[in-house]
Amino acid sequence: MIIALVIIGFIFLIGIFFYNSLIGKKNQVTNAFSAIDVMLKKRFDLIPNLVEVVKQYTTYEQGTLTKIVELRSKAGSPNISNAEKADLDAQLSSSVKGLMVNIENYPDLKANTNFINLQTTWTESEEQIAAARRTYNASVTDYNNSIMMFPGSLFAGMLNFQPIAVLETTAEERKNISAKELFNN
Amino acid sequence: MSFDIANNVALQQVLATMEVERKRIAGTQTKGYIFIAAGILLCVLGFFLGFPIPGVIGGLIPLIYGGVLLFKINDSLTAYQNAYKTNVIGAALKFLDESLSINPYQGIEASEFMYTQLFSNEPDRYKTEDLVTGCADKTRFYFAEVHAEYKTVTQTKDGTRTEWHDIFRGIIFAADFNKKFNGVTIVRPKDFGAAFGAWFSKNLFSFGSNDVIQLENLDFDKTFVTYGSDQVESRYILTPAMMERILNLNHQTKYNISLSFIESRMYIAFPLNRNYFEAPVFKSLLSPETVNEDISTLKFMYDIVKELDLNTRIWGKE
Repeated sequence: MIIALVIIGFIFLIGIFFYNSLIGKKNQVTNAFSAIDVMLKKRFDLIPNLVEVVKQYTTYEQGTLTKIVELRSKAGSPNISNAEKADLDAQLSSSVKGLMVNIENYPDLKANTNFINLQTTWTESEEQIAAARRTYNASVTDYNNSIMMFPGSLFAGMLNFQPIAVLETTAEERKNISAKELFNN
Repeated sequence: MSFDIANNVALQQVLATMEVERKRIAGTQTKGYIFIAAGILLCVLGFFLGFPIPGVIGGLIPLIYGGVLLFKINDSLTAYQNAYKTNVIGAALKFLDESLSINPYQGIEASEFMYTQLFSNEPDRYKTEDLVTGCADKTRFYFAEVHAEYKTVTQTKDGTRTEWHDIFRGIIFAADFNKKFNGVTIVRPKDFGAAFGAWFSKNLFSFGSNDVIQLENLDFDKTFVTYGSDQVESRYILTPAMMERILNLNHQTKYNISLSFIESRMYIAFPLNRNYFEAPVFKSLLSPETVNEDISTLKFMYDIVKELDLNTRIWGKE
């Protein structure tokens, strides 16, 4: 009788441990996503300044600038999903990259201190977003592993925990950089 | 760029002058050792042949003379070794980069050694020398030889026995990192203990403030265990490209390296099994391989900045 109780108690404790560990990992995923969100916001906040500086020196990039401003205001609207936000960010990133290449034609702008600062902050934020995305993917993999592997899979089945998809690298990121493309703009 | 000793006239002149001094020291040292050996031999012979007192007296004279010879040459030896560091190593450094210089009497302090968080044991005996400082383009760096040991005291029948164990012996390299960060990231070689510790803190319970960082580069994860105070920041430092560069650097060394990133600075520990930048006494200074090994070590350290691409300053840090 006592042995049976001890075994039941032991199984119960293990159950609590695995349950808590799953919840911890799930929360870690949410937390990792909010890190990406913070980084994205930081980057979106750079846009108005960037647009202002570029506007002063160029007359031919109006189309790109308008597009960038539009994308930024879309990304800033409150009711969009995480996936949409990531997609807008990818489009924004590629537009700004294009703009940076075109700026090679404006020596005055290239030498502007404000612009140089914005450019470094932009590159910094790119790398930080990449780091946040990698952190998110690592937490997702960790969570997915624990709900798919035994004995986590038992609890996951009972509690209806679903696997989460990792963030794919965007088409833009996957594409090999082609020098020809860069210089034929 | 290679440092060609054979065609460097100025260095050849320095080496030729020092070679004369080296020969004098080597000669005196050999003479001293021969007298000491002869003295011991005389004592032993005296005992065996039944003349202990004349044997000891006859033996003591060459023994003392030999000792005096070695003692007297010791100052010249120290001067010669320092001259080697300042003139030969110093010249090689200037050739690599004008900004580089060596200070034989300075090193990396024990407090900084602990600050790097590369090693968890506090040293009981600590030696450091040969501090090299300078810049490679935009990146300031320095490195020094360090030998840190801890002791264990065990109870034996006759009392206590003290044993010394290495915590680290080799070169600690420090450079200004090209990105800004606030937390701590530590990369240690993955041996059995580290692998088990990492598994334990990831799956069961984590001691301390640093988490295990699971990185996506499989080779990197097999070679090292990474700990960090902030998951995102550690990945901001250890980008996929940086992990590849660290692996490349690690492939060039005999023993696995450890790295830490603290307050915008990076530290690398290179374990080595010999004392670097020491002037040879019984080997000619003029044979190229004597000096070449030291020079290739210097070049290796200097090239780390390039190897890890620390001069790319596009992330808001000048």
